[in-house]
Amino acid sequence: MANYFNTLPLREQLEQLGKCRFMHLNEFTDGVNALKGKKMVVIGCGAQGLNQGLNLRDSGLDVSYTLRAEAIEQKRQSWKNATENGFTVGTYEELIPTADVVLNLTPDKQHTAVVNAIMPMMKQGACLSYSHGFNIVEEGMQIRDDLTVIMVAPKCPGSEVRAEYVRGFGVPTLIAVHEDNDPNGEGLELAKAYAVGTGGHKAGVLMSSFIAEVKSDLMGEQTILCGMLQTGSLLCYDKMIEEGVDAGYASKLIQYGWETVTEALKYGGVTNMMDRLSNPAKIKAYDLSEEMKDIMRPLYQKHQDDIMTGHFSATMMADWANDDAQLLGWRADTAETAYEKMPAGDVEISEQEYFDNGILMVAMVKAGVELAFETMTSAGIIADSAYYESLHETPLIANTIARKKLYEMNATISDTAEYGCYLYNHACVPLLADFMKGIKTDVIGRGLNLNDMSVDNARLIEVNHAIRTHPVEDIGSELRGYMADMKRIV
Amino acid sequence: MSASIELSKLTVDFDGRFQLRDLDWQILPGQNWMITGTNGSGKSALAAVLAGVGDHLSGELSGLPERVALVSYEAQGELIEAERKKDDADILDVISEGTPVREIIDAVCLDQPLAEQLIEQFGLGSLLDRAFRKLSTGETRKVMLIRALTSKPDLLVLDEPFDGLDVKTHEMLHEHLKSLVGQTPMVMVLNRFDECPDFVTHIAYLDNGELRHQVSRNDQQAYDELYQLLHLKTSDLEVPAADPISELPPLDPNQPLVRIKNAKIQYGDTVIFSDLSWTIERNQHWQLTGPNGSGKTGLLSLITGDHPQCYVNDIYVFGFQRGQGESIWQIKQYIGYVSTALQWEYRVGTSLRHVIISGFFDSIGLYVKYTDRQRDIANEWLEVLGMSHRADEPFNKLSYGDQRLLLIARAMVKHPPLLILDEPCNGLDDMNRQRVLALIEKICADSETSVLYVNHHPEDKIKGIDQYLALS
Repeated sequence: MANYFNTLPLREQLEQLGKCRFMHLNEFTDGVNALKGKKMVVIGCGAQGLNQGLNLRDSGLDVSYTLRAEAIEQKRQSWKNATENGFTVGTYEELIPTADVVLNLTPDKQHTAVVNAIMPMMKQGACLSYSHGFNIVEEGMQIRDDLTVIMVAPKCPGSEVRAEYVRGFGVPTLIAVHEDNDPNGEGLELAKAYAVGTGGHKAGVLMSSFIAEVKSDLMGEQTILCGMLQTGSLLCYDKMIEEGVDAGYASKLIQYGWETVTEALKYGGVTNMMDRLSNPAKIKAYDLSEEMKDIMRPLYQKHQDDIMTGHFSATMMADWANDDAQLLGWRADTAETAYEKMPAGDVEISEQEYFDNGILMVAMVKAGVELAFETMTSAGIIADSAYYESLHETPLIANTIARKKLYEMNATISDTAEYGCYLYNHACVPLLADFMKGIKTDVIGRGLNLNDMSVDNARLIEVNHAIRTHPVEDIGSELRGYMADMKRIV
Repeated sequence: MSASIELSKLTVDFDGRFQLRDLDWQILPGQNWMITGTNGSGKSALAAVLAGVGDHLSGELSGLPERVALVSYEAQGELIEAERKKDDADILDVISEGTPVREIIDAVCLDQPLAEQLIEQFGLGSLLDRAFRKLSTGETRKVMLIRALTSKPDLLVLDEPFDGLDVKTHEMLHEHLKSLVGQTPMVMVLNRFDECPDFVTHIAYLDNGELRHQVSRNDQQAYDELYQLLHLKTSDLEVPAADPISELPPLDPNQPLVRIKNAKIQYGDTVIFSDLSWTIERNQHWQLTGPNGSGKTGLLSLITGDHPQCYVNDIYVFGFQRGQGESIWQIKQYIGYVSTALQWEYRVGTSLRHVIISGFFDSIGLYVKYTDRQRDIANEWLEVLGMSHRADEPFNKLSYGDQRLLLIARAMVKHPPLLILDEPCNGLDDMNRQRVLALIEKICADSETSVLYVNHHPEDKIKGIDQYLALS
């Protein structure tokens, strides 16, 4: 199998990368009709598999689960998940031949084996659906010509997909049709009905392409979403310890700090996050972020380039072939870091204090979001996609760190994201080493503590202008506007 | 008043017609009390106890000062009755004019200048020579007030003192009472919170002959809750109508609302219940009981569609045999639902009005545009709850009890055929329990909704429930 993206001419690559359109609610008036009465069989019953299936069934669709024979015989967790929730469970042989739509919701690394196993059993003209396009785009999986191939990717962890549906809402969802596999031209209708079935249409659906999804998703998760937060956590913690800040305080400031500062990001973008700082602190954070952006820009470009050329996926697949030796080793190393081992102290930190004493963290979020966005858009990814894969998802990942530090983040994200996150971290920590030498507790741990809060007017205007006119703020306010129309209450 | 008045486990009988039971109450120097409650709850009786009325069956009353002045309709009636008797007792064959107002006032007056001032202010100057019993009700009331105020009492007990007074006189009396603060302790019976003068420091709430709540004016939350309890208990407001536009698809009148056959819930090898069959007919009200872990909430969620095992059981709800391609939103539209878990789920910073409107859409939070009519209905509900003035406040800033009331309104806003109340009084104090039960009873009496009520506490009864299912 060859990397599918690399087989395309540049013209086609650019066209596919540039696909992303925010769909209007009135494009979903057909509801789930296109899937009504069709037999949907889900492969895999992890967090995405189970929760998407629960939603689809509650929307009146016929959902069952197929698992490998061993998982059924040994009554593994996936079997328990499905049966306790009252779903029919069967082997591939039992269920795949009856399926009108097969939902492949297994981890990326199993895709090739799973698809090879089920494809010969699939009904003529059936539909194969993914929630991530890695297998198609990076591995070049060839799907039988008569099968329709679509993607429906909720942009949230599986538990959120369910929780929002039960509330009567949904999570933002990306849909795509693999144009090489749309023999009856029904791919889009099926993907739309599927998005309605999971509730995604209420929160906003982006119509994209397999290629744009993969190339932007990989970039976002490796850099700002997971990589930057991991690197930032380790560097900020070590600096505070070095400067004599109480370890419990330092641990807590970081664990909950990402969540708190990115909550401001969620409501009003980088502008609002920066506005939460005092004027002197804002100018300080701005200067730090500009400095870091210059240092890290080549790293972001390298990640994007490696993703585009297929170098990243080839490297990771080599590790798959080697029983995940690197991934498991790096995971173990992360668990042994000083930050990860120090529990959050029993100290009160007010919401504002996370900003005031976490100026460097704010600067890191700003630098990471803007760099990821700039790098993606300069690589041909459309601004809408770049926004979702950078700024929009940062608070979601930050929430996982607040729950159980880096362990929880790495457990929640996919293995693919985790692998990329470690690659970034290994490069970024040494890259920022010199920069960190100049960092003191005024920007991380203790705050500026100024008696005089005055700033130069001209400088403040200049900084505010730079923050507010960044392209990520432009598209962000537009997309948040759509979201607010749909979800009046955040 | 130098000492405090103390009622301890006091039970007072009033001619065998009415009893106040187990009164525990302490009026400390410097306090001014308002007594309130519904009609017939014993407010006036309690005021009268302070004036020495009633037979003490048990308990103790101590510290009552010597001179207590009572103004009440009962006392007013007694004085008029006494006048009439005097008239009847007259053996002379002349028409008695009865005692003139001047004499009635002078009989108890200890402060002549004040009496003159009040007579002037109350506009009674021209009536002083008229017979007391010939006055109108409002005029006799003014005379009674003057008697009380000029008798230099150690305790002033006023039962509905403002009732029947015009605005000007009301203000004048209020000003005068205010000038007594610090000199004469006051206890006044008032039916309406908005008449409660600023100098009232404490409020006593009576219900059915018992002193149920004592609230300090400084405790704003308790004060607000008491306000709403009284509002729910006393207002004649009707349950707001449904929205004709968002009316539910009609149900087959010959089918039950719910029919469950041989249902089972099982987790792993643990069977919560099995072989459970249950039919809920239209217009039946049910109470569901059972110990913790018996599967009450599980059973309810088989009905609401929130339990995934509803798909593997034989369940017919609102015209749908479950698992035949219906969506849960088609089921939920027929159900209003309130539970502690829902309250926990409802953590969004939505306004009170939006929480109620969200009931039209069965959502937690509001995600769609609503109509003006739906907004108006929500406003009517806020009025029923006595929360109109707080319509735009965020839900998560409400007290726990207020949140529960609001969620009940949310559940009822669409007039569902079935209202499920899963432990609606859980986590509520006595006052809030009474508020919730008062609202539910209003709903039961005033709508066509079948109520399915889950509760442990035998004292939290709801009128009208006659069907029982007990899980074990």
